[in-house]
Amino acid sequence: MPGRSVDLRQTVPFTHLVDIFEKNNLAKPEPPLSGAFKVRDTPMTSFRKFYERGDFPIALEHDTKGNKIAWKVEIEKLDYHHYLPLFFDGLCETEHPYEFFARQGVHDMLEHGGSKILPVIPQLIIPIKNALNTRKHKVLCTTLKVLQHLVVSAEMVGEALVPYYRQILPVMNIFKNKNLNSGDGIDYSQQKRENVGDLIQETLEAFERYGGEDAFINIKYMVPTYESCMLN
Amino acid sequence: MAAAVSMPSVSQPKSMKRPTHWSEEVEEAYRFQLAGYRDEIEYREVQRTDHIDRWPHNGFVKKLVRRDGCFYYYNKTRECPDKQINKTKLYAY
Repeated sequence: MPGRSVDLRQTVPFTHLVDIFEKNNLAKPEPPLSGAFKVRDTPMTSFRKFYERGDFPIALEHDTKGNKIAWKVEIEKLDYHHYLPLFFDGLCETEHPYEFFARQGVHDMLEHGGSKILPVIPQLIIPIKNALNTRKHKVLCTTLKVLQHLVVSAEMVGEALVPYYRQILPVMNIFKNKNLNSGDGIDYSQQKRENVGDLIQETLEAFERYGGEDAFINIKYMVPTYESCMLN
Repeated sequence: MAAAVSMPSVSQPKSMKRPTHWSEEVEEAYRFQLAGYRDEIEYREVQRTDHIDRWPHNGFVKKLVRRDGCFYYYNKTRECPDKQINKTKLYAY
């Protein structure tokens, strides 16, 4: 009951009376929120700056089938060291058209990059880390899908990511359990692939599958609740 | 109109039908039509080339040049969504 002082000696441990006592005990300040799940704002990305300046060799489509980028030059001729980190930088964006171009640009470059992707991996880590650190739902979903695509995009990419788990995995550890317990109801985010908990599980499994023999122990170190999908 | 007259009759399709199910043929037509061409025959005529980039493992179209010179890149796997299947046109000659 609010306002009523409770004698601790009368309370039975592990009951609601303890909670009432805790609430009424004004001398004890509430612990501050750690803000682990709080959305962080991002400063303007360099992707946006470059896009507005017209630096990217891409053209905006004004038709109804807006799921493709028209490239003005061949992707094979692009300088991956310059463009791929820039597109990854745009993963933090949530507004159209930046978000669309970043997501689709990364997709096209990974799909058609082949052996040009591997040398650029070290430059991609900071943009990936920034994107995950925003903790925005939409950005998390996009980035996780991109990571899943990245590990299968070329040979040895999965292995090359292992040394960078320390940068990438902490946020995954935070959100690994972000899932909806709806009993036997339907959770539509599963169909739409927007369930962060499931996406993280899939991503970690992809990391383990393609990361070579050191992958599991390194994932386990950063995400202790992760269980192997290959050893059992 | 002048262009239409000068085009050889071989390139004019005799009939067109709309598919109801997805198949590799539909996927092929979908990819060309997304880039603004009727099919491979028209693409070859307009671009004056015999070379079409395809994925080695399944033969799907990989890269097309649009009429304005921009490039369209396609995925390794199926791209044509279910609701676009009956909007795709299969031409017969």
